[in-house]
Amino acid sequence: MNRQRKTMKSPSFQALALAATLLIPASMTAQVDRTKAPPAGPAPEVHLGEHKSITLANGMRVIIVENHKIPIVSAQVRFDIPPIMQGDIAGYQDLVGELLTSGTARHTKEEIDELVDGLGARMNGSNDGIYASSLKKNFPQVMDLLYEVVSSANFPREEFEKAKTRALSQVSARADDPDQIAEVVGRALTYGKGYPYGEVTTEATLSKVNRDDLYQYYRYFFQPKQGYLVLVGDITAKEGEAMATKYFGTWKGAEVPVTKDEQGHDVVKDLGPIIPAGKQPPMPRDVRVAFVDRPGSAQSVIKVLFPVQLKPNDPMVLQAQVLNTILGGGVFNARLMQNLREDKGYTYGAYSSLDADRWCGAFSAGCSVRNNVTDSAATQIMDEIRNIRKAPVKADELALAKSYMAGSFARALEDPRTVARFALNTYLNDLPEDHYDTYLKKLETVTIADVQQAANRFLQSDSATILVVGDKEQVAKTLEGLSTTGVVLDFDINGDIVRIDPTEGATPAPAGMTAQDVLDAYIKAIGGSAAVGKVKDLKKEYTTSIQGMPATLVEYYKVPNNYAMEMKMGEMVLQKMTYDGTRGKMVGMGGEKELEDIELDELRANSYAFPELHYAEMEQLGRLMGIVDIEGKKAYRVNVKTLPGGQFDEYYDVTTGLKLRRKDYQSQEGGGYIQVITDYSDYTPEGGVLFPHTLHQGGGMDMTLTATSISVNKGIPGSVFSVE
Amino acid sequence: MRTIITLTACTMASITAMAQTRDIAYTEFDLPNGLHVILHEDHSTPIVAVGVMYHVGSKDEARDRRGFAHFFEHLLFEGSDNIGRGEYAKYVEKAGGVLNANTTGDRTYYYEVLPSNQLDLGLWLESERMLHAKVESKGIETQREVVKEERRQRYENQPYGSILPEVLKRAYTEHPYQWPTIGYMEDLNAATEKDYKKFYKTFYVPNNAVLVLAGDFNAEKATTQLTNYFGPIPKGGTIPRNKVVEPPLKGEVRDTVFDKIQLPAVVQAYRIPALGTPDFYAVDMLNRLLSNGNSSRLVKNVKDAEQKAVFVGSFSLPFEDPGLAIAFAVANMGVTPDSLEASMDRQFGRVRNEPIPPAELEKLKVQIETEHAMENGRMAGIANNLANAYTFLGGTDKVNTEVQQYLAVTADDLQRVARKYFVPENRVVLYYLPLNQKK
Repeated sequence: MNRQRKTMKSPSFQALALAATLLIPASMTAQVDRTKAPPAGPAPEVHLGEHKSITLANGMRVIIVENHKIPIVSAQVRFDIPPIMQGDIAGYQDLVGELLTSGTARHTKEEIDELVDGLGARMNGSNDGIYASSLKKNFPQVMDLLYEVVSSANFPREEFEKAKTRALSQVSARADDPDQIAEVVGRALTYGKGYPYGEVTTEATLSKVNRDDLYQYYRYFFQPKQGYLVLVGDITAKEGEAMATKYFGTWKGAEVPVTKDEQGHDVVKDLGPIIPAGKQPPMPRDVRVAFVDRPGSAQSVIKVLFPVQLKPNDPMVLQAQVLNTILGGGVFNARLMQNLREDKGYTYGAYSSLDADRWCGAFSAGCSVRNNVTDSAATQIMDEIRNIRKAPVKADELALAKSYMAGSFARALEDPRTVARFALNTYLNDLPEDHYDTYLKKLETVTIADVQQAANRFLQSDSATILVVGDKEQVAKTLEGLSTTGVVLDFDINGDIVRIDPTEGATPAPAGMTAQDVLDAYIKAIGGSAAVGKVKDLKKEYTTSIQGMPATLVEYYKVPNNYAMEMKMGEMVLQKMTYDGTRGKMVGMGGEKELEDIELDELRANSYAFPELHYAEMEQLGRLMGIVDIEGKKAYRVNVKTLPGGQFDEYYDVTTGLKLRRKDYQSQEGGGYIQVITDYSDYTPEGGVLFPHTLHQGGGMDMTLTATSISVNKGIPGSVFSVE
Repeated sequence: MRTIITLTACTMASITAMAQTRDIAYTEFDLPNGLHVILHEDHSTPIVAVGVMYHVGSKDEARDRRGFAHFFEHLLFEGSDNIGRGEYAKYVEKAGGVLNANTTGDRTYYYEVLPSNQLDLGLWLESERMLHAKVESKGIETQREVVKEERRQRYENQPYGSILPEVLKRAYTEHPYQWPTIGYMEDLNAATEKDYKKFYKTFYVPNNAVLVLAGDFNAEKATTQLTNYFGPIPKGGTIPRNKVVEPPLKGEVRDTVFDKIQLPAVVQAYRIPALGTPDFYAVDMLNRLLSNGNSSRLVKNVKDAEQKAVFVGSFSLPFEDPGLAIAFAVANMGVTPDSLEASMDRQFGRVRNEPIPPAELEKLKVQIETEHAMENGRMAGIANNLANAYTFLGGTDKVNTEVQQYLAVTADDLQRVARKYFVPENRVVLYYLPLNQKK
């Protein structure tokens, strides 16, 4: 970088300044044309700045950026650690950074704090390294301490306990902060809790964290062969190289013995298996609305979220950034800002981000708005996302976005750490070596068509989760129309679906009445236990439509509990399930598999023609929760326990006794739950028993099933239920 | 008419040999209309920061127009006679630049950071804003809503977000610092077109402003151009100043605020002298002694050793008129506010009663020196610091010499100001408690 600086000490500059002042008299003022913006001068050249890179004998890579503008030097140590699952001790990785500077073989935490502050330095640890900076004159001592911390932190138990208690306090305080709630729940919904980025730290998981978890993580991952040392600022390449070699040149890292588990993961003593991120989380099948209640909120925090398959070395990464700049990425003229703030006055600021990531990218768009425009604001955000997919962007929008990005690039280079960051990114993300050198040129070539292509590839608006953190009572109902299924899903602050809504049991059921009474009344209403008992086999045929295409569903039941179902579109079998009373099988588009564990249990629970008769014997019968209103009808709400930890709710008409609704909570691949609501209507008799002929299902997939035929005791061959 | 050239380079050397920091070089002068101009040339990156600081903030507001200065800041992005609604930001972003503004109790600051070949654009935009800004009713109504959302987002929907307004209204009874810069909605709703015109004509005038350019430009050419753009702007009248002197607190003020929070918090606000006074620097140093870094007294003792808090900090509000030092702590799990406050008070008691060890003072000085070196790394920061030094610190040269006022503070000074200002009868104490504890 340029080391020449004009200062007042230069005589020529003083003369210049004098000359400048002499120009002041008003008579010297020339007329300028105020009616239009002045033309730009010739575009200045942008110099990227240089870095030096060496590799130490132990594999650690050193990046040095020399810049003498201010007498500050910074050092960053960074380890290339992939995201790994934290599981039931989620949150332990967040404590690693704090503990890193809390004691070494030579110094206590108190002594380290005194040293850092006494040097006027900053030193901040994280779970993948550490950053420090100071005046040049103090930097050798800072490096000394930095190396000591990286190579011999000892994670004292006492300091760990203190940090853990503070972290527990902070987790409990998360409930107060709508932005934090949106952040945490947003990640859980974007990636799913089965993905490292979607894991949620709770009081329960933090309580299980031990000092050894942190210490072993640190020992296992802080290794020179996956390490980088980045030195930036008032230091020469030669000085930097000498310093890097002196401290880290012979560093070996800890020796951590590992064993392997069945899946081939490294297992570290006291920490357990190192489980990396699995495949990218699945895209939701429809637009869902997730709500976290924060009673009394002055605003709703809105986020529109979905995961994105976009890695930093994707050839379309620049197009994606241009797209996001036009939509909502930082510029004031972005569509979200102009629409939601400058046109509608809904918010102080609306933004979007489209982040590339080596493991899993993500899209997020959102803002904070007053309660009574929450639905309008969410609608506008969704519209903007859909519109930018549908129609090409305007030429002047593209020009503005490109200029702005080029300007940001140049501005960022003011900080010498940017050059270092570029170098580090190039290594970490496996970027082409000239990625940043050619950035401005490549940016120049991005076209309107490129932007639209990026929009169609990355903005999966049909799989969006609209998350709102706000006052449920005032806001939630208005959002139903935004969901494909018409349902607003309730989540708690840890990103778990709220399974029991304590406010829903509006009025208590009559004293002494039980859930079994409600079920008995139901059996009576559909024909009585004698008529029901005569049903030996049952075949139900329905028509429906899936994404606009006609489809059929047939279900077979045979006493005691044989079950089969087949869903077809034309002649194509979409899904088939059979259960022979002990074993179950599923055949789908992707092949067939025998069901086990929870999936088998779920199938068994569905295998009865009249499952209501079996809740009690299956020890499922839960509680009568009270009387609620279901679309204008008074209904008993019965909560039924199912498989370990699971449950569903059923709603029985107080007047007719018939079942009106079932509310299920289905687990999703990649974690989280979807609330599936099934409404039953058009009860008509077949073989002496009333069956609902219209089933409307919302939640997972929105569909209406219409019964075309329900036949009782017509004989079903046993082969229908065969699992072989 | 007055033109000034300030030469700063030589003032430093004699004072101390220890400072490793490098001076910010600049020239400055006044235009005939009273606009003060500061230029800092630096060619290391092809960008230029253009900043205008108007010496007007919420303390210049009428008592029934609280929040007006900040609201006005929003309105002054709406356009001018030559710039249509919504175009102001477009010009900047199309040129590859960024822009923003902020308002405090004392001043309003607007800035753009542009590629260096777009300096003229920055001069045009800022001179249009000063000469004939224009606001349409659509803009007024929209920004009123935007500011309401800003208020909700920053103050009402955040845990502990109301601390500043709650402190200010108890710490001041006469002075306009008693209301927060964001103001109150009823006042903004009541504002009329006459108010806008008057406020603009009174405060947004060249003789109440300083223009700063920092970055990659040629000072001679820039002076010609800025004179062309700003020279014709007519000088305003004498700037009216609210000369309210806040009487001393009549003893400690104590109160409780219930908020949507789980962890209680303790806020102590001590009345302190104005920015730029010798005691201000001693107080500011004392705040660093208390909470700058993990070895500072509040952090080390209240948070770490005694485990009373998850967060503790103390900082000075750098106000032009006498301001406040605010100590703020959020309780750790199961810690009562009383016990937290007692722990904080022990540290305030120590600084009053025990001499400050020389090594601790040295530590503060190294920290100050380092901070001073770091704050001048970017053109946008330099421009802001120059404008601030000129407007509030008694001279632009303070951008380089203010650090000496910190370094001149002695251990005795620290103890003296602790005894003078950090005493119970000079403070407001607020307990923040969870709503469910409200009886």
